[in-house]
Amino acid sequence: MLEKTKNIARQILEEKKAGAVFGLMRNEWNIIQPHLFENSEELANLVLEPKWLLAKLAMTILRSSPENYKLAVICRGCDERALIELIKRNQIEKENLLTIGIACSQEQAAICLCDRPYPEKLDAGEKVSGVDPFQDERVRKFLIGNDKERMERWADMLKRCIKCYGCRNSCPLCICEPCKLEDDVWVQRGVVPAETITFHLIRAFHLSDTCVACGACQEACPVNIPLLYLQLGMRKTLREKYGYEAGLDPEIKSPVLSSAFEKPDTDREFPDWINSLREEDES
Amino acid sequence: MNPEFIKTICPYCGTGCGLIIKVEGGVAIATYPDREHPVSRGSLCIKGWSAHEFINHPDRLTDPLLRKGDTFQKIPWDEAIPMAALKLRETAAKYGGDAIGGLSSAKCTNEENYLFQKLIRMAFKTNNVDHCARLCHAPTTVAMVQTLGSGAMTNSISDLAGAECIFVIGSNAAESHPIIMGEIYKAADKGATIIAVDPRETAVTRNAKIHLRINPGTDIPLLCGMMRHIIDEGLHNEDFIRARMEGFEDLNEFLQLWPVKRAAAECGIDEEIVRNVAEIYAKAKESAIIYCMGITQHACGTANVLAICDLAMLCGHVGTEHSGIYPLRGQNNVQGACDMGALPNVYPGYQGVSDSAIQNKFQNAWGDTLSDKPGLTVTEIIGLAGKDIRAAYIMAENPALSDPDTNHVLESLKAFDFLIVQDIFLTETAKFAHLVFPSSCFAEKSGTFTNTERRFQLLRKTVAPPGNAKEDFEILCLLGNALGLDFSYKNPSEVMDEIASLAPAYGGICFDRLEREGLQWPCPDLEHPGTRYLHKDRFTRGKGLFVIPEHTPPKELPDENYPYYLSTGRMFSHYHTGTMTRRSSFLNREVEEAYAEINPEDAALLDVKDGEKIKITTRRGSIITNARITKRVSKGCIFAPFHFAEARANMLTNPALDPRSKIPEFKVCAAAVRKESQDG
Repeated sequence: MLEKTKNIARQILEEKKAGAVFGLMRNEWNIIQPHLFENSEELANLVLEPKWLLAKLAMTILRSSPENYKLAVICRGCDERALIELIKRNQIEKENLLTIGIACSQEQAAICLCDRPYPEKLDAGEKVSGVDPFQDERVRKFLIGNDKERMERWADMLKRCIKCYGCRNSCPLCICEPCKLEDDVWVQRGVVPAETITFHLIRAFHLSDTCVACGACQEACPVNIPLLYLQLGMRKTLREKYGYEAGLDPEIKSPVLSSAFEKPDTDREFPDWINSLREEDES
Repeated sequence: MNPEFIKTICPYCGTGCGLIIKVEGGVAIATYPDREHPVSRGSLCIKGWSAHEFINHPDRLTDPLLRKGDTFQKIPWDEAIPMAALKLRETAAKYGGDAIGGLSSAKCTNEENYLFQKLIRMAFKTNNVDHCARLCHAPTTVAMVQTLGSGAMTNSISDLAGAECIFVIGSNAAESHPIIMGEIYKAADKGATIIAVDPRETAVTRNAKIHLRINPGTDIPLLCGMMRHIIDEGLHNEDFIRARMEGFEDLNEFLQLWPVKRAAAECGIDEEIVRNVAEIYAKAKESAIIYCMGITQHACGTANVLAICDLAMLCGHVGTEHSGIYPLRGQNNVQGACDMGALPNVYPGYQGVSDSAIQNKFQNAWGDTLSDKPGLTVTEIIGLAGKDIRAAYIMAENPALSDPDTNHVLESLKAFDFLIVQDIFLTETAKFAHLVFPSSCFAEKSGTFTNTERRFQLLRKTVAPPGNAKEDFEILCLLGNALGLDFSYKNPSEVMDEIASLAPAYGGICFDRLEREGLQWPCPDLEHPGTRYLHKDRFTRGKGLFVIPEHTPPKELPDENYPYYLSTGRMFSHYHTGTMTRRSSFLNREVEEAYAEINPEDAALLDVKDGEKIKITTRRGSIITNARITKRVSKGCIFAPFHFAEARANMLTNPALDPRSKIPEFKVCAAAVRKESQDG
């Protein structure tokens, strides 16, 4: 998979299809970090592991580049979905982005609780099957019980928050400017944890229809809040009620954007967020 | 034009997290977490994420500054360095080398600290070199060396996740060491019991299973009461004590003075809770103790740490992977500054200046005679300004905000015949200097920092210093050479090699190895992998020693005229004297103005509403600050962060010192509070 990826990257650079290939570099000291490969000789140092989300960094690079600068990004499934969402949200120009899609291992899929561990445009590696996160014990722990019990469990987690803003900073789809989390109407300044749980609920709802379940938020969280689980239920609801999944097709709009005018093809007007974190939909 | 990503180490606390700085066109424009870093593993706190923000601030010093009356004038380096050398030499010639004092820096690298102490010791034949460790973990060094033989944190940060019980006393890790707090939560998520001891309510106490809200300054009664109960119940580790300890009989006898009933009464908590936490701590397979400034910043700081060591050793909770004693280090390189001998009584590697064999070793290596008389501490150097100390060289320290009884400090800073301050901004201290050297921040130099778990880590240069500012390493070499020393080092790596040759515990450290990964000392040779936890089968001192922790109440307690307890500390978005964080927009927006916390009942009595001005007065001085009304402080207690130059909490603090470690009592003094009328 690595050799194939290198070959594709080399071709892109030699044919000048992009100004650089964005991926991971391992240097002579065995240090791995994100890197812009600008010539094919450098590609000897290209590596694909560990999973290191590049979509947000890629967006910042494209946004500060000259107008027609093209960037090729080595993408896992989640990276590709995030980049597609960013195109849909007018954050990057579709024409300026090339992707080199690579598949994740079964092991990686299990770690990430990923139900789609491969990009739609797969260039290197073999697809493995996804994991159903709702069968995972760690997730189920947050789904079982009545509203009060679930609320307590989440409150116990959310009150750990030290407001590092790492979830927002890492999330490829956290793109609002100005950010509501910096508005002291919603998030009290100067204290941790914030007095209310609005910080995480605002973030969760803002991302309800754009979250691609990459897990960047949870990976960046210094205090082990299972932030990904907050999104999983909403993703599931969108899929089950609307057949919609963020980041799959650049042409299909979010049902949240459309349902105000066109009644979706279900018996509900709006996604049933409230019960989405419940194990069994009782309504 | 494409950005570069460069790995380096965070400049804020002692956790030592891995950063990736994004550099575009020679400018540091963003910070990201390093997923591969062994401590932070892809996480950062709010300060880490904002680490690049102050680098390009317009207030950065770009040229050496010479005082002309009340103003400063820019001068070139080739005037500044000879002038500094001349003034220091003249002072030493007139008053003797002991009239020079040097304050090194826990913000600077190991190599810079090494050169700083070498310069002071060689050029002036004095040991008057110290740094701000005096104000944070001096009692740790004294007490842990006495009991265990090493003043360093016994275990590694990642070891915490495997503990069954974590006892956090006097540490607000959630705000001050957030990434370490994450390891505590990992343990909690696996079922560990988290016990927090703090007079305040903090993010740590709120997330602990048990919170002991003890009266300020009653740590020893609590710890002694716990130990007494542990022995009474037979929960102490007799095998461990027999095989590895000395002094048990004396301790046991002393603990007769501390029945649980007395301990609980002193602490102001229920007896049952003392018994309960004692049993949880003792019975757990592996228990860790985390402590910080709430333990050390007392006039009984050394005794506090002794009590912690005694408790851990009593239960055999030292020397295994997931137990241990965790004094959380404050500054990014305070461990390293101590290791490098920026202390008045030891050379690099804690080798005593009064030991003639050691003195000979350093005299031979450095090629000159050296003083065997221990030097003065931070507070003594400042306190004796204009008297015994005539000239001082302060590298990246800000005593005008950080030291107790600020009014007195400010008078002292004016009293030096000649004061050199080397810093990245014109700090409150630099404003008193005769000569200011503009230096480099973490992102503008290479070198090593040592984090709280003894891990040497490589700092990589990401951008050039602004204007004519220089790396501290280069400034020290220039000044050393101007003072007639041979400081012809080509780079910090060469300095590290010299350190390794003189301090056995760091003998295996070199830049080539650090390029790959950090190394935890002791690391005596190039093949040695470093040491994850200390005291495994044998304590550094041989047998562990139980030392009696005598309880002395705080030197100044509330009375009729000063009815409140005042405590100082940090909050999550600012760091120490605010030099960097208050110039970082994302950090400063959290809290832009000074404040003090006051309990709602007290606020009601004083007729103060949230955000209104209050005047806090102690026997040292007064400040006017904004009231933050919160139950996080108990009735009768005030908490004031010390970050704010416009309302310096240290105007109020008591300079009473712990007799052994000479740390001032920042954590308790008596204060009066009143509403400040709005029309002034």
